Amino acid sequence: MAKRKRTGWFASGEPWIWLNAAAVGISISAVLGLLLLIGSQGLSHFWPSDVEAVQLRADNASAAPLLGEWVGSETVSRQQFMEASPQAEIPHDEPLVERRLLKTGNRREAPPDFRWLDSHEIVSTTIPDDVIVIERTEWGNLYGRLVSVTLDNRVQEGEAAIDAFMAALERVETLRGSIVELEGGAIASVNSGLEKIRLERRAMQMSDEADPAREARIAARQAELDAIYQTAEAELRDAQAALRRDSAEIRISDGRIVTLNLADTVRAWYPNRMGVIDKIAHYGASLWIFLSDSPREANTEGGIFPAIFGTVMMVLLMSVLVTPFGVIAAVYLREYARQGAFVRLIRIAVNNLAGVPSIVYGVFGLGFFVYFVGGSIDQLFYPEALPAPTFGTPGLLWASLTLALLTVPVVIVSTEEGLTRIPRAVREGSLALGATKAETLFRIVLPMASPSILTGVILAIARAAGEVAPLMLVGVVKLAPTLPLDGEFPFLHLDRKFMHLGFHIYDVGFQSPNVEAARPLVYATALLLVLIILVLNLTAIMLRNRLEARYRSLEG
Amino acid sequence: MSRHISEQYDAELELVRRRFMEMGGLVEQQMRDAVQALVTHDAALGARVRKQDHEVNRYEVSLDEQCIQIIARRQPAASDLRLLVTIMKASTDLERIGDEADRIARMAIDTAGHELPRNHYDEIRRISDLVAKMVAAALDAVARLDTTEALNQIAADKNVDDAYHDAIAQLARQMSDHPETVDQTLATIWAARALERIGDHAKNISEYVLYLVKGKDIRHLPKGSFEKESPLPPD
Amino acid sequence: MSEVNAAPQRANYVSMPAGSDASTAGGMTTETACIEVERLSLFYGESQALKDVSMIIPKHRVTAFIGPSGCGKSTLLRCFNRMNDLIDGVRTTGSIRLEGSDINDTDLDVAQLRRRVGMVFQRPNPFPKSIYENVAYGLRLEEKLPSSEMDDRVEWALRSAALWDEVKDRLRESALGLSGGQQQRLVIARAVAVKPDVLLLDEPASALDPLSTLKIEELIHQLKSDYTIAIVTHNMQQAARVSDYTAFLYLGELVEFDTTATVFTNPAQKRTEDYITGRYG
Repeated sequence: MAKRKRTGWFASGEPWIWLNAAAVGISISAVLGLLLLIGSQGLSHFWPSDVEAVQLRADNASAAPLLGEWVGSETVSRQQFMEASPQAEIPHDEPLVERRLLKTGNRREAPPDFRWLDSHEIVSTTIPDDVIVIERTEWGNLYGRLVSVTLDNRVQEGEAAIDAFMAALERVETLRGSIVELEGGAIASVNSGLEKIRLERRAMQMSDEADPAREARIAARQAELDAIYQTAEAELRDAQAALRRDSAEIRISDGRIVTLNLADTVRAWYPNRMGVIDKIAHYGASLWIFLSDSPREANTEGGIFPAIFGTVMMVLLMSVLVTPFGVIAAVYLREYARQGAFVRLIRIAVNNLAGVPSIVYGVFGLGFFVYFVGGSIDQLFYPEALPAPTFGTPGLLWASLTLALLTVPVVIVSTEEGLTRIPRAVREGSLALGATKAETLFRIVLPMASPSILTGVILAIARAAGEVAPLMLVGVVKLAPTLPLDGEFPFLHLDRKFMHLGFHIYDVGFQSPNVEAARPLVYATALLLVLIILVLNLTAIMLRNRLEARYRSLEG
Repeated sequence: MSRHISEQYDAELELVRRRFMEMGGLVEQQMRDAVQALVTHDAALGARVRKQDHEVNRYEVSLDEQCIQIIARRQPAASDLRLLVTIMKASTDLERIGDEADRIARMAIDTAGHELPRNHYDEIRRISDLVAKMVAAALDAVARLDTTEALNQIAADKNVDDAYHDAIAQLARQMSDHPETVDQTLATIWAARALERIGDHAKNISEYVLYLVKGKDIRHLPKGSFEKESPLPPD
Repeated sequence: MSEVNAAPQRANYVSMPAGSDASTAGGMTTETACIEVERLSLFYGESQALKDVSMIIPKHRVTAFIGPSGCGKSTLLRCFNRMNDLIDGVRTTGSIRLEGSDINDTDLDVAQLRRRVGMVFQRPNPFPKSIYENVAYGLRLEEKLPSSEMDDRVEWALRSAALWDEVKDRLRESALGLSGGQQQRLVIARAVAVKPDVLLLDEPASALDPLSTLKIEELIHQLKSDYTIAIVTHNMQQAARVSDYTAFLYLGELVEFDTTATVFTNPAQKRTEDYITGRYG
């Protein structure tokens, strides 16, 4: 038998090291690449880039230059290009053709708002400094030149119009704020008061008991509310009228003049007149709006605050639900149950639960929590509201519970591991001092297992925050009218539907009527989702590390 | 006795025991030679005995040192501890026997110029026979852990004492009968006294054997309180 | 669990073969019994870990248990505060009486028993709490002491364990920051704080350096006047140094039980002799 060669590069084990290093390298670059992609795509969206006037060849389309922002470009093969637009003429026999995407806005006046331009068509581009970009509450951005402003029936033109326009926008902003306040404050509370009265009446009808005193009290209360409502509504009408007072005239790229009511505007800026500092300020403001505002226009404009809030609420609620549940189960399995075939079977089952597709949990949540549990709660506690369901419909509580169920195996497994790692000597030390098993558990064992419990919760959070599929069945909606937490009793509304970043991404990306406009928002939202999960995880990890430092020297 | 798990320990104990027995042999020889020198007026032999006393002393010092080393390093317990203690104490007794032999040898040198007494040191010969047997038997008992022999030797000390008293009485008579030999007779008395002391030391060694084997210190106990008990069966 | 022997044979506590030197156990006659073990046998499932052990552990004395690994000495110790209850499939016969009452009595509260019979383990096992809370742990379980009284008890316990001077300035710091020897003394203080009658020490110094070991041994010596101490040790010299009585166990049997002086100079049994002199058994 030939002696095996034990030297050389292969025998030295070097290839394995390289293999491992390569695997690590690929993983890191994949993560970094992902972050870089969604980061650059998402964050560049808020930058106020220059608006260019693009002059196309006269024989193609209109003679007037187009106004818009470049948002992208791609290179396609000539053949592909010809198939897509057979009428286009390409002078040279180039194998590749560059196409550029211009965001021209003006969706209502001159659709489409995004145009692919063949670079051969472009004669010249200039950056005119009199172009204004107006962000509207509907129909997207308006690109054009300000002609005149009508303020309280006084017309102003030229440079003076610009200052007047900007000042008027601020006035609109203030008015809009007061309207929101009116709607959210007085009117909302009157509405919920009226709803309560309605439910109370219904409850009285259902109980079949005549109670004139109560009836009178309800009537008085209703009259009172009606009076408040009248005043508030009048105020609201006035405010709305004031809001719609002013208008502006804008000439768009094809020469038409568009009249714009200032009530429909959000912001306006002259991108080509802005310096870098102005642009950074504008960028910050845009980002803030994105983070703090509610979405508009089928979620493609405005902010995503309700989705952030909903995601965080849901994850926190899920953690609060899953932790005691998982810990109690793990404690029973490890500390009290008689270790045997049955417990082993349960443990296997628990581990396998983690592998069940999440949509199955969604179906279970819908069938069990929403229809069965929620329906029963409605029958028992909210019969007067029926047939409109209170808890018998998808909502925050059911979504959190479903995700808690989904993540509980992780918490159980990790808690059990922590319990096993606690030295027997420490438990015996406590028992030898006359502590009972329960006292030992609460005073010694659980505090020492807390880092492991938190590890489980961290994993649960990471999984829950990224889950979308089951949520679509048990509580997430594309647009929720109210936040699950507000100033109205009982403050935390577990029955309300809520928005979620993951679902928001899906909705904006796939359900939006305007794919080009929505794409940057998809990236920005994805980045935000990653950041939120990161923050939640880092918080939990920091907490765990502090606990671990406290208990470290006892292990091992 | 079964062996230690540490063979080195066994070897160390065995070495100490062997050195002790060597010392015992040397001291025995010293004693015989000293008596021989006395009874034959052999000054040369006496001088040799005196010279060898240093070697006996060296044996004692080195045995003590080895025992202390073992105690410090091995922390012996039970029988091992008793063995070392016995050896340390018995070696002191052996050294004393050596000293007594030295004394007899000095007497031998002092009296060498004189004529031999008429009875040719009869009484000395008798005592020395008894004592030599006692020393030999005591050392034997140490070597064989023989408590019966040890008990016999403890009893035999009485014979030595009796013989010694007889000899003193006789020598005293001789002194008064032959005043011209007072010096020589006095030396003989001193030698007899030395031999009696050697008998006491041999008795001590026998007592240590009992302690070594049975763990009982029987010194200063009322006589006979120990003999009643049966000895342990040898291992 | 236990089958109390109806007619205990008091004469046979120290199990020695007939014909041996009976006077060696004579030192025992003047002692007061604290724990009386009678014909105790213990089984782990089918295997028997203790075989018919009978002995008396005298009050306010240190009794050492020695023997080779697996001889049952720790198991015997753990019988005294019923720590063996925690192990599945353990069965005992015979009886153990603490100050005259059977500890296996079904009416007896185990927690209460363990309060009277404190235990210190091989490795220091302080709780991951402050030094103060470690000592106060046992107290808080039972009584609601006012904080000044609690402070006094903690100080007293730490002084008893000869640790007070070393930790008095950092009572609120984590006990895990102490050295091994200090931790072990803290554990002793923790056991002493609940004022037990008996302290069981299961190889208390085997994980410590020689100096810390000596401190523990000195502590045992000081605690002897107030507590009955039973110590299991692998270190025969330690048993010789700290104990008044020594029990030698071999393969679950009590081979010899006598004063430490006797066991270490002149054991009655050949198996004891072989073990303590380091010979092949």
